[in-house]
Amino acid sequence: MKNHAEPREKARPFIAHPAVGRFVAILATVSGVFCLIVSILLIANYLQIQALDPLNQPELLALRQRLAEAPEADPALVEPIRVMDLLARKAFFTSQAHLHMGGMLLLAGVIAFLIALKLAARCYPRPPAPVGSKDPDRYWNERARTKEILAFAAVVLAVAALIAAYLTPLDIPGPARAEPSAVTEVEAAPAAFPDWEAIQRQWPSFRGPGGYGVAYFDTAPTEWDVATGENIRWRVEVPLVGFNSPVVWDNRLFLTGATESVREVYCFDADSGELLWTRAVPAFPGAPETPPKVSDDTGYAAPTMAVHGERAYAIFGNGDLVSYDFEGELRWGRNLGMPDNHYGHASSLIAFGRHLFIQYDEKRAPRLIAVDAETGEEAWVAQRKKISWASPAYIHTPLGVQVILNSERDVDAYDPESGRLLWTVECLDGEVAPSPAYGGNTVFVANEYAMSTAIRLEAVGAETKPAIAWEYDELLPEVASPVASDRYVYIATSLGDIACLDLETGKTVWEQEFDDGFYSSPVLVGDRLYALDLEGVMHIFGAGAEYKLIGSLPFGEGGFATPAYLDGRLYVRTQKSLLCIEQRDDSST
Amino acid sequence: MMRCVRLVAASSVFLILTGTAAAEFRFPMPEFASDYQPPQVHAPMPDLDNSALDVAVLAGALAVAAWLTLKARSRRGLFLLAMFSLIYFGFWRKGCVCAVGSLQNTVAAVADPTFEVPLVVLAFFVLPLAFALFFGRVFCASVCPLGAIQEMVAVRPAHVPKPIEQVLALIPYLYLGLAVLSVATGAGFLICRYDPFVGFFRQGASFNMLVLGGVFLIAGVFIGRPYCRFFCPYGVLLGWMSRFAKWHASITPGECVQCRLCEEACPYGAIHAPSTVGPPVERRQGVRRLAALLLATPLIVGSSAWAGAMTGEMLARLHPTVNLAERFTQEERGVFQDMTLDTEAFRSSKKSVPQLYAEVDEIRRQFRRGSAWLGAFFGIVVSAKLLGLSVVRRRGNYEPDRQACLSCGRCFAYCPVEAEPKASTRSDLPS
Amino acid sequence: MKPLDRRDFLRAAAVAAGAGLGWRAASPKPGAMVWQIDPQTCVQCGRCATNCVLNPSAVKCVHSFQICGYCDLCGGYLQPGAKTRDTGAESQLCPVSAITRTFVEDPYFEYTIDEDRCVGCGKCVKGCALFGNGSLYLQVQQDLCVHCNECAIARDCPADAFRQVPAEDPYLLKTRPAEGGPPV
Repeated sequence: MKNHAEPREKARPFIAHPAVGRFVAILATVSGVFCLIVSILLIANYLQIQALDPLNQPELLALRQRLAEAPEADPALVEPIRVMDLLARKAFFTSQAHLHMGGMLLLAGVIAFLIALKLAARCYPRPPAPVGSKDPDRYWNERARTKEILAFAAVVLAVAALIAAYLTPLDIPGPARAEPSAVTEVEAAPAAFPDWEAIQRQWPSFRGPGGYGVAYFDTAPTEWDVATGENIRWRVEVPLVGFNSPVVWDNRLFLTGATESVREVYCFDADSGELLWTRAVPAFPGAPETPPKVSDDTGYAAPTMAVHGERAYAIFGNGDLVSYDFEGELRWGRNLGMPDNHYGHASSLIAFGRHLFIQYDEKRAPRLIAVDAETGEEAWVAQRKKISWASPAYIHTPLGVQVILNSERDVDAYDPESGRLLWTVECLDGEVAPSPAYGGNTVFVANEYAMSTAIRLEAVGAETKPAIAWEYDELLPEVASPVASDRYVYIATSLGDIACLDLETGKTVWEQEFDDGFYSSPVLVGDRLYALDLEGVMHIFGAGAEYKLIGSLPFGEGGFATPAYLDGRLYVRTQKSLLCIEQRDDSST
Repeated sequence: MMRCVRLVAASSVFLILTGTAAAEFRFPMPEFASDYQPPQVHAPMPDLDNSALDVAVLAGALAVAAWLTLKARSRRGLFLLAMFSLIYFGFWRKGCVCAVGSLQNTVAAVADPTFEVPLVVLAFFVLPLAFALFFGRVFCASVCPLGAIQEMVAVRPAHVPKPIEQVLALIPYLYLGLAVLSVATGAGFLICRYDPFVGFFRQGASFNMLVLGGVFLIAGVFIGRPYCRFFCPYGVLLGWMSRFAKWHASITPGECVQCRLCEEACPYGAIHAPSTVGPPVERRQGVRRLAALLLATPLIVGSSAWAGAMTGEMLARLHPTVNLAERFTQEERGVFQDMTLDTEAFRSSKKSVPQLYAEVDEIRRQFRRGSAWLGAFFGIVVSAKLLGLSVVRRRGNYEPDRQACLSCGRCFAYCPVEAEPKASTRSDLPS
Repeated sequence: MKPLDRRDFLRAAAVAAGAGLGWRAASPKPGAMVWQIDPQTCVQCGRCATNCVLNPSAVKCVHSFQICGYCDLCGGYLQPGAKTRDTGAESQLCPVSAITRTFVEDPYFEYTIDEDRCVGCGKCVKGCALFGNGSLYLQVQQDLCVHCNECAIARDCPADAFRQVPAEDPYLLKTRPAEGGPPV
């Protein structure tokens, strides 16, 4: 043991050195103040950057914004931007340098301060001495008190934790929500709902049976004259405007119309045009107080209704979803929550089997909802990714029925019973309004700003494998949905072009320009194609390898909705009116 | 139906986006006519080849600390060693990986077999504990950089009253439990996140953490080692090891003479005074109280396990996935109009919503279970402390508390006893 | 010094057991791991610039010249809607002007990053990904990074783009593959 070292070491801590101590105390004070000043400066620097980031000054951003909006480079804007940008960058790098320098200075200052403090403490030591008189019981009393306080603190902590846990419940649904609930009861298909055979003979939804623009009957009229009334069976005015298309089942025709505050469902007699009943949709719990903002091109009644058996279904831009029977009784209705959609909700309804499908692709929670067509209860929900304004279609494949949806990025196919995603192809872009076309085991989708894609479906075992057959990007639609037959696919653009492409290869077969653009979707009726342009002129031409115009017949009012084509009849909704054209003689080919 | 505003000519160039399904590059490789050579990508290598050295220095420092504490009994030596550790492990190695944080990596590796732990980290976890088991908390005194920095600022430590000290001493247990829970559920490394001093070591941290570090240092001037005594989760483990240490720092090199000069020696309140007089309570009553406490212990542990389980959902918010799911749910419901960067990224990701909710359910389950264990652990700790305070132990000498003593060596100078009897040379001490 | 007794044996056994268990459970690797960004997963949210404990961030933009198209109309260099394709401050996307545009030969321009200026905000990366080949991307610079145990950016990354990679091979660089191969 180092006996000599110990006394020296032991003595040193307790000897006072007042002279040195005074000097060191001054050092400590000086360095302490220095540290304080540097700390305050650093904090001030930091707060200043937080308040105004030099790189994101509002004036500079505003100038950049104005330059972006100007049609060309304006020297009056460019010069100030350059000057301000240079100043901003200088300010940014200077403040960085200041921060670093300040940090270094503070570190040095703190080291100096601590050394001085320690020395000062050494110079004024507190020599060892026993602490006052000892109360013999103090030790035990202190222990007892410690026990009490410890127990108390533990209880307080536990109670506080419990209260905190109670006040901040986790706002996430329980496990039941995790899986899309499939309808579990397996019953025979209710007789109330029609099968595909029956559906095909009606016009039950947007773009006809299945929703892909192909009519069942090929006997639609080819000649009529609005001026003389030739072949016009009836013409009525629709009380409120809307861009939705007429749907027809047997002798009932349904439409909706809406304004900002009123939403109405209309039922017309398909034979006479008589307005049988009007129903104003009631306010449902959860309906938004203020109506959604919609663009003029959408309005509040853009989605087309769906008719299924003896039920008619409608959806509106504020999220109201209703089901009426043919007598006008409200069977069920509710509000799906306000859609976050900058143009306004536009996807139409479609029904098949037991379910009504709602493509609710709004920004916040895009989804495909399937409700029980009879009760309105949610059967399943498939979460989706992107917003869209297209409508669903359903196709019959060798492996079963698939519901096809377009969105801003993908084409998805769902199983109508369970909502399971069967296949998906990422091929779209832009703001998608056109709906899918289907012909000859190929799904065709198109949109402005995207590569229009033909997706060939192949059944591999129990799965459907999609494969991109070809792409096309010359004449693209913005609103009107393309339509396909077994051999060709037809595209109608907003600028008035119609293109016919070969479905197998994608090669252009013919192109035709018209005076006005198309919003209404073209429909294939037998071997003819009907396309209604924005001015309300119906162009009818042969659907085949050669372009053959059969007729261009005006309606006298703008045309946006897609007409309904039934046996010998066509129902069209123009801007303000609803017409029924009937041609029963055998001159139609 | 829509008139796209984006058709403004200047911006339209950027909107002709091709489908990304075909993953090719949009613009072809340029073919240079001249002999232009593109520069190389700047990709500097990290400077990380010091694992073995660090372990060696750690082991060496621990050995030196043990020697300084037990053999040489040199406070000055320990202080100098602390300065060295501060410079080497702190500023030079930027305070990472440290032994305190390494406990998280070890727990993570045990909980998740795919988590890879470098040997250095494991060594940093085991070595201080091993030394503590034999020599006491020699790591804390002068090897841990966090302790060392507090040691530097402990100028005039004041005495913290025992009851308050004992209550505050509960915090490290909670912190340890929370840190383990957080790591085991994949919620992250809490100890690293809330390390107040690492920001100084690596000269970079968020503003809040730097301020917190400053607060700890300023507090450390007046209260000795606040982080070590009242927060350090690794200190809990070291304390347990140190309890059973073979050799431990002692105030006196020889026999204690009860001179009482060391009563105020310890800035960390780790010196036990002798209790020559018995407790004011009768023995029988004391035994009954102790027995009652023993019986109450399962109740305490059980109820705090239950309380812990109740807080499981709240604690689940430590996990980023849970936060994301909560925000997403609220956005869907309309509570919030805007998306955050996280929910936006989630919506464009490949993960589906049912997948997210499934993950969240699993995490919630883990948290409910884990926080029940945390509650039970806390209940055991509180019961043990209460029991310890109820047991009468007569102590004759001034001794350091085996768990709390950090082996800093300040008390050595206060003891007048010589190691070997020798002619008294007490003239150097003040009267 | 007391002779070794049973307690010592227990202590030594405890240490050995603890270390052994730890070794087995942890399966430590000899090499160190460092943090890196996977450029394919990154969504250019901008948090790399703000979350790093260092100021400026250890994340910088790197430029893969193999992949770059050397375009006049560079999506990473020019602001969207830039009126002129020049080096004017009003046309530049980078807020600290860290990208230098140099004419090589017609019609190619070389873009290089001044790393001392780059703050890792990712704006150029976003622009290049939207309209470009994605040759500009963010990487953690390993000589700047302090290799925190828990990376403050990694835990806040909305796309979970941070990975731990071996220190011997610490970058996840993008390269253009040979003709016909898939891109990296």
